[in-house]
Amino acid sequence: MTDNTADTAALSTPHSRGDRPKLRLPWGLVLGLSTSGGLILIWALASWAGWASPVFLPSPAKVWAALTRVAFDGYANATLLEHMAASLWRVFAALFFTMLIGVPVGLLIATSKIGRGILDPLVEFIRPLPPLAYLPLIIIWCGIGEGSKILVIGIAMLAPIVISTVSGVKAAGENQIRAARTFGATRAQLIREVMLPAALPSIFTGMRIALGAGWTTLVASELVAATRGLGYMIQSAAQFLVTDMVIAGILVISALATISEILLRWMERRFLPWIGKS
Amino acid sequence: MSVLSLSHISLTYPGTATPVLKDVTLSLSQGDFISVIGRSGSGKTSLMNLAAGFLQPSSGQVSIGGAPVTGPGPDRAVVFQDDALFPWRTVVENVALPLKLAGVARDEREATARRWLAAVHLEGQEDKHIWQLSGGQRQRVGIARALASGPDFLLMDEPLGALDAMTRDRMHELLLQLWDQSHTGALLITHSVEEALFLSTSVVVLAPDPGRISFQESYDYGRRFIRGEDPRALKSEPGFIAARERLLAAIYEKEPA
Repeated sequence: MTDNTADTAALSTPHSRGDRPKLRLPWGLVLGLSTSGGLILIWALASWAGWASPVFLPSPAKVWAALTRVAFDGYANATLLEHMAASLWRVFAALFFTMLIGVPVGLLIATSKIGRGILDPLVEFIRPLPPLAYLPLIIIWCGIGEGSKILVIGIAMLAPIVISTVSGVKAAGENQIRAARTFGATRAQLIREVMLPAALPSIFTGMRIALGAGWTTLVASELVAATRGLGYMIQSAAQFLVTDMVIAGILVISALATISEILLRWMERRFLPWIGKS
Repeated sequence: MSVLSLSHISLTYPGTATPVLKDVTLSLSQGDFISVIGRSGSGKTSLMNLAAGFLQPSSGQVSIGGAPVTGPGPDRAVVFQDDALFPWRTVVENVALPLKLAGVARDEREATARRWLAAVHLEGQEDKHIWQLSGGQRQRVGIARALASGPDFLLMDEPLGALDAMTRDRMHELLLQLWDQSHTGALLITHSVEEALFLSTSVVVLAPDPGRISFQESYDYGRRFIRGEDPRALKSEPGFIAARERLLAAIYEKEPA
Protein backbone atom coordinates (compact mmCIF):
# COMPACT_ATOMS: atom_id res chain seq x y z
CA MET A 1 0.00 0.00 0.00
CA THR A 2 2.69 2.47 1.04
CA ASP A 3 4.88 1.34 -1.86
CA ASN A 4 2.08 1.99 -4.32
CA THR A 5 1.58 5.51 -3.06
CA ALA A 6 5.30 6.21 -3.34
CA ASP A 7 5.30 4.89 -6.92
CA THR A 8 2.37 7.05 -7.91
CA ALA A 9 4.06 10.10 -6.43
CA ALA A 10 7.28 9.36 -8.31
CA LEU A 11 5.39 8.84 -11.56
CA SER A 12 3.31 11.97 -11.29
CA THR A 13 4.03 14.83 -13.68
CA PRO A 14 6.30 17.69 -12.65
CA HIS A 15 3.27 19.99 -12.76
CA SER A 16 1.48 18.17 -9.98
CA ARG A 17 1.12 19.82 -6.62
CA GLY A 18 3.12 17.23 -4.73
CA ASP A 19 6.38 18.06 -6.50
CA ARG A 20 6.43 21.73 -5.76
CA PRO A 21 8.27 22.63 -2.54
CA LYS A 22 5.55 23.88 -0.24
CA LEU A 23 5.89 27.26 1.44
CA ARG A 24 4.86 26.71 5.03
CA LEU A 25 3.62 30.17 5.91
CA PRO A 26 0.72 30.90 8.26
CA TRP A 27 -1.12 32.65 5.45
CA GLY A 28 -4.05 33.82 7.58
CA LEU A 29 -1.72 35.61 9.98
CA VAL A 30 0.41 37.07 7.17
CA LEU A 31 -2.63 38.42 5.34
CA GLY A 32 -4.15 39.80 8.55
CA LEU A 33 -0.95 41.58 9.53
CA SER A 34 -0.36 43.01 6.07
CA THR A 35 -3.93 44.33 5.87
CA SER A 36 -3.63 46.11 9.23
CA GLY A 37 -0.10 47.26 8.37
CA GLY A 38 -1.28 48.56 5.01
CA LEU A 39 -4.14 50.50 6.61
CA ILE A 40 -1.83 52.12 9.14
CA LEU A 41 0.53 53.02 6.29
CA ILE A 42 -2.27 54.67 4.28
CA TRP A 43 -3.42 56.43 7.43
CA ALA A 44 0.13 57.72 8.13
CA LEU A 45 0.50 58.78 4.49
CA ALA A 46 -2.85 60.58 4.50
CA SER A 47 -2.08 62.61 7.63
CA TRP A 48 1.54 63.28 6.54
CA ALA A 49 0.41 64.57 3.14
CA GLY A 50 -2.21 66.72 4.84
CA TRP A 51 -5.18 65.23 2.95
CA ALA A 52 -7.29 65.84 6.06
CA SER A 53 -7.00 68.34 8.88
CA PRO A 54 -5.31 66.88 12.01
CA VAL A 55 -8.52 67.66 13.91
CA PHE A 56 -10.31 65.14 11.72
CA LEU A 57 -7.48 62.70 11.20
CA PRO A 58 -4.57 62.87 13.64
CA SER A 59 -1.44 60.96 12.66
CA PRO A 60 -0.73 57.47 14.03
CA ALA A 61 2.07 59.01 16.09
CA LYS A 62 -0.37 61.45 17.72
CA VAL A 63 -2.76 58.64 18.52
CA TRP A 64 0.09 56.64 20.01
CA ALA A 65 1.02 59.69 22.07
CA ALA A 66 -2.58 59.97 23.26
CA LEU A 67 -2.51 56.30 24.22
CA THR A 68 0.64 56.66 26.32
CA ARG A 69 -0.75 59.88 27.81
CA VAL A 70 -3.94 58.21 29.01
CA ALA A 71 -2.00 55.15 30.11
CA PHE A 72 0.43 57.02 32.35
CA ASP A 73 -1.18 60.36 33.21
CA GLY A 74 -4.83 59.50 32.72
CA TYR A 75 -7.59 61.30 30.85
CA ALA A 76 -11.08 62.31 31.95
CA ASN A 77 -10.34 61.70 35.63
CA ALA A 78 -8.97 58.18 35.27
CA THR A 79 -6.06 56.23 33.82
CA LEU A 80 -6.46 53.93 30.85
CA LEU A 81 -6.31 50.92 33.14
CA GLU A 82 -9.16 52.27 35.24
CA HIS A 83 -11.24 53.04 32.16
CA MET A 84 -10.56 49.54 30.85
CA ALA A 85 -11.37 47.91 34.18
CA ALA A 86 -14.69 49.77 34.42
CA SER A 87 -15.72 48.78 30.89
CA LEU A 88 -14.54 45.19 31.16
CA TRP A 89 -16.43 44.80 34.41
CA ARG A 90 -19.64 46.12 32.81
CA VAL A 91 -19.36 43.95 29.72
CA PHE A 92 -18.50 40.73 31.53
CA ALA A 93 -20.93 41.28 34.40
CA ALA A 94 -23.61 41.78 31.75
CA LEU A 95 -22.50 38.58 29.98
CA PHE A 96 -22.59 36.65 33.25
CA PHE A 97 -26.09 37.75 34.24
CA THR A 98 -27.42 37.41 30.71
CA MET A 99 -26.12 33.83 30.52
CA LEU A 100 -27.74 33.15 33.90
CA ILE A 101 -31.10 34.27 32.47
CA GLY A 102 -30.72 33.61 28.74
CA VAL A 103 -29.68 29.95 28.80
CA PRO A 104 -32.60 28.79 30.98
CA VAL A 105 -34.97 30.93 28.89
CA GLY A 106 -33.59 29.30 25.74
CA LEU A 107 -34.00 25.84 27.26
CA LEU A 108 -37.60 26.63 28.19
CA ILE A 109 -38.39 27.90 24.69
CA ALA A 110 -36.78 24.84 23.12
CA THR A 111 -38.34 22.22 25.36
CA SER A 112 -41.77 23.51 26.33
CA LYS A 113 -44.65 24.70 24.20
CA ILE A 114 -45.89 26.89 27.04
CA GLY A 115 -42.39 28.29 27.54
CA ARG A 116 -42.12 29.08 23.86
CA GLY A 117 -45.56 30.67 23.80
CA ILE A 118 -44.77 33.02 26.66
CA LEU A 119 -41.07 33.78 26.18
CA ASP A 120 -40.51 33.71 22.43
CA PRO A 121 -42.54 36.87 21.70
CA LEU A 122 -40.75 38.69 24.53
CA VAL A 123 -37.32 37.80 23.13
CA GLU A 124 -38.44 38.74 19.63
CA PHE A 125 -39.68 42.05 21.00
CA ILE A 126 -36.36 42.85 22.67
CA ARG A 127 -34.17 41.55 19.85
CA PRO A 128 -34.34 44.43 17.33
CA LEU A 129 -34.39 47.29 19.85
CA PRO A 130 -31.50 49.74 19.45
CA PRO A 131 -29.76 50.39 22.80
CA LEU A 132 -30.10 54.16 22.43
CA ALA A 133 -33.87 53.69 22.20
CA TYR A 134 -34.30 51.85 25.48
CA LEU A 135 -31.50 53.65 27.35
CA PRO A 136 -33.75 56.55 28.50
CA LEU A 137 -36.36 54.12 29.74
CA ILE A 138 -33.79 52.14 31.73
CA ILE A 139 -32.55 55.39 33.31
CA ILE A 140 -36.10 56.44 34.23
CA TRP A 141 -36.88 53.02 35.68
CA CYS A 142 -33.59 52.00 37.23
CA GLY A 143 -31.66 55.21 37.76
CA ILE A 144 -28.17 56.10 36.68
CA GLY A 145 -26.17 53.64 38.76
CA GLU A 146 -23.89 50.81 37.74
CA GLY A 147 -26.84 48.41 37.56
CA SER A 148 -28.47 50.41 34.78
CA LYS A 149 -25.30 50.35 32.69
CA ILE A 150 -24.98 46.58 33.06
CA LEU A 151 -28.67 46.20 32.27
CA VAL A 152 -28.36 48.21 29.05
CA ILE A 153 -25.53 45.95 27.86
CA GLY A 154 -27.27 42.82 29.11
CA ILE A 155 -30.45 43.55 27.12
CA ALA A 156 -28.36 43.76 23.95
CA MET A 157 -26.81 40.38 24.80
CA LEU A 158 -30.03 38.55 25.64
CA ALA A 159 -31.28 37.67 22.17
CA PRO A 160 -28.03 36.08 20.87
CA ILE A 161 -27.77 33.94 24.00
CA VAL A 162 -31.41 32.82 23.93
CA ILE A 163 -31.54 32.16 20.19
CA SER A 164 -28.25 30.24 20.18
CA THR A 165 -29.46 28.11 23.10
CA VAL A 166 -32.71 27.31 21.30
CA SER A 167 -30.98 26.33 18.07
CA GLY A 168 -28.33 24.41 20.03
CA VAL A 169 -30.93 22.24 21.73
CA LYS A 170 -32.27 21.37 18.29
CA ALA A 171 -28.79 20.10 17.42
CA ALA A 172 -29.23 17.19 19.82
CA GLY A 173 -29.69 14.07 17.69
CA GLU A 174 -33.11 12.45 17.70
CA ASN A 175 -31.53 9.11 18.56
CA GLN A 176 -29.43 10.68 21.33
CA ILE A 177 -32.65 11.89 22.93
CA ARG A 178 -34.33 8.53 22.31
CA ALA A 179 -31.36 6.73 23.85
CA ALA A 180 -31.63 8.82 27.00
CA ARG A 181 -35.36 8.12 27.14
CA THR A 182 -34.74 4.37 27.01
CA PHE A 183 -32.49 4.82 30.05
CA GLY A 184 -35.55 6.18 31.82
CA ALA A 185 -34.33 9.79 31.84
CA THR A 186 -36.69 12.27 33.45
CA ARG A 187 -37.35 15.57 31.69
CA ALA A 188 -34.79 17.35 33.88
CA GLN A 189 -32.19 14.61 33.27
CA LEU A 190 -32.84 14.77 29.54
CA ILE A 191 -32.16 18.51 29.54
CA ARG A 192 -29.10 18.26 31.80
CA GLU A 193 -27.47 15.20 30.25
CA VAL A 194 -28.34 15.55 26.56
CA MET A 195 -29.88 18.83 25.46
CA LEU A 196 -27.67 21.26 27.36
CA PRO A 197 -24.36 19.56 26.45
CA ALA A 198 -25.52 19.25 22.84
CA ALA A 199 -26.36 22.96 22.87
CA LEU A 200 -23.01 24.08 24.34
CA PRO A 201 -21.20 24.61 21.01
CA SER A 202 -24.05 26.80 19.82
CA ILE A 203 -24.22 28.60 23.17
CA PHE A 204 -20.52 29.38 22.85
CA THR A 205 -21.14 30.91 19.44
CA GLY A 206 -23.98 32.88 21.02
CA MET A 207 -21.60 34.11 23.73
CA ARG A 208 -19.19 35.35 21.10
CA ILE A 209 -21.95 37.20 19.27
CA ALA A 210 -23.25 38.54 22.60
CA LEU A 211 -19.81 39.86 23.52
CA GLY A 212 -19.71 41.66 20.19
CA ALA A 213 -23.11 43.17 20.92
CA GLY A 214 -21.86 44.07 24.40
CA TRP A 215 -18.87 46.01 23.14
CA THR A 216 -21.15 47.75 20.62
CA THR A 217 -23.51 48.81 23.39
CA LEU A 218 -20.79 49.85 25.82
CA VAL A 219 -20.55 53.45 24.61
CA ALA A 220 -24.33 53.89 24.83
CA SER A 221 -24.37 52.50 28.37
CA GLU A 222 -21.69 54.98 29.44
CA LEU A 223 -23.50 57.98 27.94
CA VAL A 224 -25.14 59.07 31.17
CA ALA A 225 -23.52 59.66 34.56
CA ALA A 226 -20.45 57.56 34.02
CA THR A 227 -17.18 58.74 35.56
CA ARG A 228 -15.10 55.95 34.14
CA GLY A 229 -15.05 53.60 31.18
CA LEU A 230 -13.76 53.55 27.61
CA GLY A 231 -17.09 54.77 26.21
CA TYR A 232 -17.09 57.64 28.69
CA MET A 233 -13.48 58.43 27.79
CA ILE A 234 -14.31 58.58 24.08
CA GLN A 235 -17.32 60.83 24.63
CA SER A 236 -15.36 63.19 26.89
CA ALA A 237 -12.68 63.44 24.23
CA ALA A 238 -15.24 63.95 21.48
CA GLN A 239 -16.81 66.91 23.31
CA PHE A 240 -13.49 68.74 23.16
CA LEU A 241 -12.58 67.51 19.67
CA VAL A 242 -9.60 65.56 21.04
CA THR A 243 -9.73 63.29 18.02
CA ASP A 244 -6.50 61.42 18.79
CA MET A 245 -7.99 60.31 22.13
CA VAL A 246 -11.22 59.22 20.40
CA ILE A 247 -9.25 57.03 18.02
CA ALA A 248 -7.09 55.72 20.88
CA GLY A 249 -10.26 54.72 22.74
CA ILE A 250 -11.66 52.99 19.67
CA LEU A 251 -8.41 51.04 19.22
CA VAL A 252 -8.43 49.96 22.87
CA ILE A 253 -12.05 48.72 22.62
CA SER A 254 -11.20 46.86 19.44
CA ALA A 255 -8.12 45.30 21.08
CA LEU A 256 -10.13 44.21 24.14
CA ALA A 257 -12.85 42.73 21.93
CA THR A 258 -10.24 40.82 19.94
CA ILE A 259 -8.56 39.48 23.07
CA SER A 260 -11.87 38.32 24.55
CA GLU A 261 -12.75 36.64 21.25
CA ILE A 262 -9.40 34.79 21.25
CA LEU A 263 -9.99 33.81 24.87
CA LEU A 264 -13.44 32.42 24.05
CA ARG A 265 -12.10 30.45 21.09
CA TRP A 266 -9.41 29.00 23.31
CA MET A 267 -12.02 28.04 25.92
CA GLU A 268 -14.12 26.45 23.20
CA ARG A 269 -11.22 24.24 22.08
CA ARG A 270 -10.33 23.47 25.68
CA PHE A 271 -13.79 22.64 27.03
CA LEU A 272 -15.71 21.52 23.95
CA PRO A 273 -13.15 19.37 22.15
CA TRP A 274 -15.84 17.37 20.34
CA ILE A 275 -16.92 20.29 18.13
CA GLY A 276 -16.61 19.43 14.46
CA LYS A 277 -15.95 15.77 15.17
CA SER A 278 -18.69 13.37 14.17
CA MET B 1 -39.17 -14.51 32.19
CA SER B 2 -40.58 -11.58 30.40
CA VAL B 3 -42.30 -11.55 27.01
CA LEU B 4 -42.49 -8.52 24.73
CA SER B 5 -45.48 -8.96 22.48
CA LEU B 6 -46.84 -6.98 19.58
CA SER B 7 -50.37 -8.09 18.88
CA HIS B 8 -52.24 -7.11 15.72
CA ILE B 9 -50.22 -3.92 15.36
CA SER B 10 -51.13 -1.45 12.66
CA LEU B 11 -49.42 1.86 12.18
CA THR B 12 -50.53 4.68 9.90
CA TYR B 13 -48.66 7.96 9.94
CA PRO B 14 -50.98 10.97 10.12
CA GLY B 15 -51.85 12.31 6.68
CA THR B 16 -51.00 9.14 4.79
CA ALA B 17 -53.40 6.59 3.36
CA THR B 18 -51.35 3.38 3.26
CA PRO B 19 -50.45 1.96 6.65
CA VAL B 20 -46.74 1.41 7.31
CA LEU B 21 -47.54 -1.77 9.20
CA LYS B 22 -50.70 -3.82 9.02
CA ASP B 23 -51.81 -6.47 11.51
CA VAL B 24 -48.34 -7.52 12.66
CA THR B 25 -48.15 -9.98 15.52
CA LEU B 26 -44.82 -10.90 17.01
CA SER B 27 -43.72 -12.24 20.35
CA LEU B 28 -40.21 -11.92 21.75
CA SER B 29 -39.28 -13.90 24.86
CA GLN B 30 -36.07 -13.55 26.82
CA GLY B 31 -33.70 -16.03 25.24
CA ASP B 32 -35.13 -15.43 21.75
CA PHE B 33 -33.13 -13.77 19.01
CA ILE B 34 -35.52 -12.52 16.35
CA SER B 35 -34.29 -10.81 13.21
CA VAL B 36 -36.57 -8.70 11.07
CA ILE B 37 -35.62 -8.45 7.44
CA GLY B 38 -37.30 -6.92 4.42
CA ARG B 39 -36.96 -4.49 1.58
CA SER B 40 -36.79 -0.74 2.15
CA GLY B 41 -40.17 0.65 3.07
CA SER B 42 -41.42 -2.56 4.66
CA GLY B 43 -41.66 -0.86 8.05
CA LYS B 44 -38.73 -2.58 9.78
CA THR B 45 -37.61 0.49 11.66
CA SER B 46 -41.20 1.44 12.53
CA LEU B 47 -41.59 -2.02 14.04
CA MET B 48 -38.57 -1.46 16.22
CA ASN B 49 -39.72 2.02 17.21
CA LEU B 50 -43.03 0.51 18.30
CA ALA B 51 -41.31 -2.17 20.35
CA ALA B 52 -39.06 0.46 21.93
CA GLY B 53 -42.05 2.66 22.73
CA PHE B 54 -40.91 5.61 20.61
CA LEU B 55 -44.10 5.24 18.57
CA GLN B 56 -47.60 4.22 19.55
CA PRO B 57 -49.53 1.88 17.23
CA SER B 58 -52.65 3.15 15.46
CA SER B 59 -54.34 -0.09 16.47
CA GLY B 60 -53.28 -3.22 18.28
CA GLN B 61 -51.15 -3.35 21.38
CA VAL B 62 -47.51 -3.57 22.46
CA SER B 63 -47.20 -5.15 25.88
CA ILE B 64 -44.66 -6.67 28.22
CA GLY B 65 -45.90 -9.51 30.38
CA GLY B 66 -49.45 -8.33 29.68
CA ALA B 67 -48.84 -4.70 30.72
CA PRO B 68 -49.24 -2.25 27.84
CA VAL B 69 -46.17 -0.29 26.76
CA THR B 70 -46.77 3.46 26.77
CA GLY B 71 -43.22 4.70 26.17
CA PRO B 72 -39.55 3.77 26.20
CA GLY B 73 -38.07 2.29 29.35
CA PRO B 74 -34.92 0.75 30.79
CA ASP B 75 -36.29 -2.78 30.34
CA ARG B 76 -35.81 -2.36 26.56
CA ALA B 77 -32.35 -1.13 25.57
CA VAL B 78 -31.86 0.14 22.04
CA VAL B 79 -28.75 0.04 19.85
CA PHE B 80 -29.05 2.63 17.11
CA GLN B 81 -27.77 2.59 13.57
CA ASP B 82 -25.92 5.88 14.14
CA ASP B 83 -24.60 4.72 17.55
CA ALA B 84 -26.26 7.76 19.29
CA LEU B 85 -23.33 8.11 21.69
CA PHE B 86 -22.67 11.35 23.56
CA PRO B 87 -19.42 12.95 22.37
CA TRP B 88 -19.16 15.14 25.47
CA ARG B 89 -18.72 12.03 27.60
CA THR B 90 -15.81 9.61 27.56
CA VAL B 91 -16.30 5.98 26.56
CA VAL B 92 -16.78 4.76 30.12
CA GLU B 93 -19.05 7.70 30.96
CA ASN B 94 -21.25 6.84 27.99
CA VAL B 95 -21.67 3.28 29.17
CA ALA B 96 -22.25 4.40 32.77
CA LEU B 97 -24.93 6.97 31.86
CA PRO B 98 -27.95 4.63 32.07
CA LEU B 99 -26.80 3.61 35.53
CA LYS B 100 -26.25 7.22 36.53
CA LEU B 101 -29.80 8.08 35.49
CA ALA B 102 -31.02 5.09 37.49
CA GLY B 103 -29.30 6.51 40.58
CA VAL B 104 -26.43 4.01 40.87
CA ALA B 105 -23.46 5.34 42.88
CA ARG B 106 -20.44 6.52 40.91
CA ASP B 107 -17.99 3.77 41.89
CA GLU B 108 -20.47 1.03 41.24
CA ARG B 109 -21.62 2.33 37.86
CA GLU B 110 -18.03 2.86 36.70
CA ALA B 111 -17.14 -0.69 37.70
CA THR B 112 -20.17 -2.08 35.85
CA ALA B 113 -19.38 0.05 32.79
CA ARG B 114 -15.78 -1.18 32.75
CA ARG B 115 -16.97 -4.77 33.02
CA TRP B 116 -19.24 -4.34 29.99
CA LEU B 117 -16.52 -2.59 28.04
CA ALA B 118 -14.28 -5.56 28.75
CA ALA B 119 -17.07 -7.85 27.53
CA VAL B 120 -17.09 -6.04 24.18
CA HIS B 121 -13.26 -6.17 24.04
CA LEU B 122 -12.68 -2.48 24.66
CA GLU B 123 -10.29 -2.73 27.60
CA GLY B 124 -7.88 0.18 27.58
CA GLN B 125 -10.25 2.43 25.60
CA GLU B 126 -12.35 3.44 28.61
CA ASP B 127 -11.05 6.97 28.99
CA LYS B 128 -10.90 7.82 25.31
CA HIS B 129 -13.24 10.23 23.60
CA ILE B 130 -15.92 8.85 21.31
CA TRP B 131 -14.45 10.44 18.18
CA GLN B 132 -11.15 8.69 18.80
CA LEU B 133 -12.79 5.31 18.16
CA SER B 134 -13.45 3.47 14.90
CA GLY B 135 -16.98 2.76 13.68
CA GLY B 136 -16.88 -0.81 14.97
CA GLN B 137 -15.56 0.28 18.34
CA ARG B 138 -18.29 2.89 18.61
CA GLN B 139 -20.99 0.34 17.94
CA ARG B 140 -19.48 -1.89 20.61
CA VAL B 141 -19.67 1.04 23.05
CA GLY B 142 -23.32 1.40 22.05
CA ILE B 143 -23.95 -2.27 22.74
CA ALA B 144 -22.10 -2.12 26.07
CA ARG B 145 -24.16 0.93 27.01
CA ALA B 146 -27.37 -0.86 26.09
CA LEU B 147 -26.49 -3.91 28.17
CA ALA B 148 -25.05 -2.03 31.16
CA SER B 149 -28.42 -1.37 32.74
CA GLY B 150 -29.38 -5.04 32.58
CA PRO B 151 -32.34 -4.83 30.18
CA ASP B 152 -34.72 -7.71 29.48
CA PHE B 153 -34.75 -6.91 25.77
CA LEU B 154 -32.10 -5.68 23.38
CA LEU B 155 -33.51 -3.89 20.34
CA MET B 156 -31.05 -3.25 17.51
CA ASP B 157 -31.74 -1.12 14.45
CA GLU B 158 -29.19 -2.14 11.80
CA PRO B 159 -26.29 -1.57 14.21
CA LEU B 160 -23.77 -3.23 11.90
CA GLY B 161 -24.93 -1.65 8.65
CA ALA B 162 -22.03 0.76 8.39
CA LEU B 163 -19.28 -1.71 9.25
CA ASP B 164 -16.94 -3.53 6.87
CA ALA B 165 -17.46 -7.23 6.22
CA MET B 166 -14.68 -8.57 8.44
CA THR B 167 -15.65 -6.36 11.36
CA ARG B 168 -19.24 -7.53 10.87
CA ASP B 169 -18.29 -11.19 11.14
CA ARG B 170 -16.48 -10.58 14.40
CA MET B 171 -19.41 -8.52 15.68
CA HIS B 172 -21.80 -11.39 14.92
CA GLU B 173 -19.85 -13.74 17.14
CA LEU B 174 -19.60 -11.09 19.85
CA LEU B 175 -23.33 -10.37 19.65
CA LEU B 176 -24.17 -14.04 20.09
CA GLN B 177 -21.91 -14.32 23.13
CA LEU B 178 -23.39 -11.18 24.68
CA TRP B 179 -26.93 -12.32 23.97
CA ASP B 180 -26.18 -15.65 25.61
CA GLN B 181 -24.52 -14.06 28.65
CA SER B 182 -27.11 -11.34 29.19
CA HIS B 183 -30.18 -13.61 28.81
CA THR B 184 -31.94 -10.89 26.89
CA GLY B 185 -34.52 -11.22 24.18
CA ALA B 186 -32.87 -9.73 21.08
CA LEU B 187 -34.68 -8.03 18.21
CA LEU B 188 -32.44 -7.19 15.27
CA ILE B 189 -33.44 -5.12 12.26
CA THR B 190 -31.10 -5.94 9.40
CA HIS B 191 -30.60 -5.87 5.64
CA SER B 192 -28.35 -8.90 5.61
CA VAL B 193 -29.96 -12.30 5.10
CA GLU B 194 -26.85 -14.15 6.17
CA GLU B 195 -26.56 -12.08 9.35
CA ALA B 196 -30.19 -12.77 10.23
CA LEU B 197 -29.85 -16.47 9.53
CA PHE B 198 -26.63 -16.96 11.47
CA LEU B 199 -27.68 -15.01 14.55
CA SER B 200 -31.35 -15.66 15.00
CA THR B 201 -33.56 -18.23 16.61
CA SER B 202 -36.25 -16.89 14.31
CA VAL B 203 -36.25 -14.71 11.19
CA VAL B 204 -39.26 -12.60 10.24
CA VAL B 205 -39.61 -11.31 6.68
CA LEU B 206 -41.62 -8.12 6.26
CA ALA B 207 -43.25 -7.40 2.90
CA PRO B 208 -43.88 -3.76 1.98
CA ASP B 209 -47.05 -1.75 1.12
CA PRO B 210 -48.41 -2.22 3.71
CA GLY B 211 -45.72 -3.74 5.95
CA ARG B 212 -46.77 -7.20 7.05
CA ILE B 213 -45.19 -10.49 8.03
CA SER B 214 -44.89 -12.61 4.89
CA PHE B 215 -42.59 -15.37 6.13
CA GLN B 216 -41.21 -16.62 9.42
CA GLU B 217 -38.89 -19.53 10.17
CA SER B 218 -36.85 -20.76 13.13
CA TYR B 219 -33.15 -21.63 13.08
CA ASP B 220 -30.48 -22.81 15.49
CA TYR B 221 -27.18 -21.73 13.91
CA GLY B 222 -26.57 -19.08 16.57
CA ARG B 223 -27.17 -21.52 19.39
CA ARG B 224 -24.92 -24.08 17.72
CA PHE B 225 -22.17 -21.46 17.45
CA ILE B 226 -22.50 -20.78 21.16
CA ARG B 227 -22.20 -24.51 21.82
CA GLY B 228 -18.82 -24.35 20.07
CA GLU B 229 -19.41 -25.11 16.41
CA ASP B 230 -17.29 -23.37 13.80
CA PRO B 231 -19.05 -20.38 12.22
CA ARG B 232 -17.67 -20.97 8.72
CA ALA B 233 -18.66 -24.62 8.80
CA LEU B 234 -22.15 -23.59 9.92
CA LYS B 235 -22.51 -21.02 7.15
CA SER B 236 -21.51 -23.52 4.45
CA GLU B 237 -23.91 -26.26 5.54
CA PRO B 238 -26.46 -27.24 2.85
CA GLY B 239 -29.24 -26.45 5.30
CA PHE B 240 -27.90 -22.93 5.85
CA ILE B 241 -27.63 -22.29 2.13
CA ALA B 242 -31.12 -23.65 1.46
CA ALA B 243 -32.56 -21.50 4.25
CA ARG B 244 -30.80 -18.46 2.81
CA GLU B 245 -32.41 -19.10 -0.57
CA ARG B 246 -35.86 -19.50 1.03
CA LEU B 247 -35.43 -16.20 2.84
CA LEU B 248 -34.23 -14.42 -0.30
CA ALA B 249 -37.20 -15.80 -2.22
CA ALA B 250 -39.55 -14.59 0.52
CA ILE B 251 -37.99 -11.12 0.46
CA TYR B 252 -38.15 -10.71 -3.31
CA GLU B 253 -41.52 -12.35 -3.98
CA LYS B 254 -44.15 -10.18 -5.65
CA GLU B 255 -41.55 -7.65 -6.73
CA PRO B 256 -43.47 -4.58 -7.91
CA ALA B 257 -43.56 -4.40 -11.72
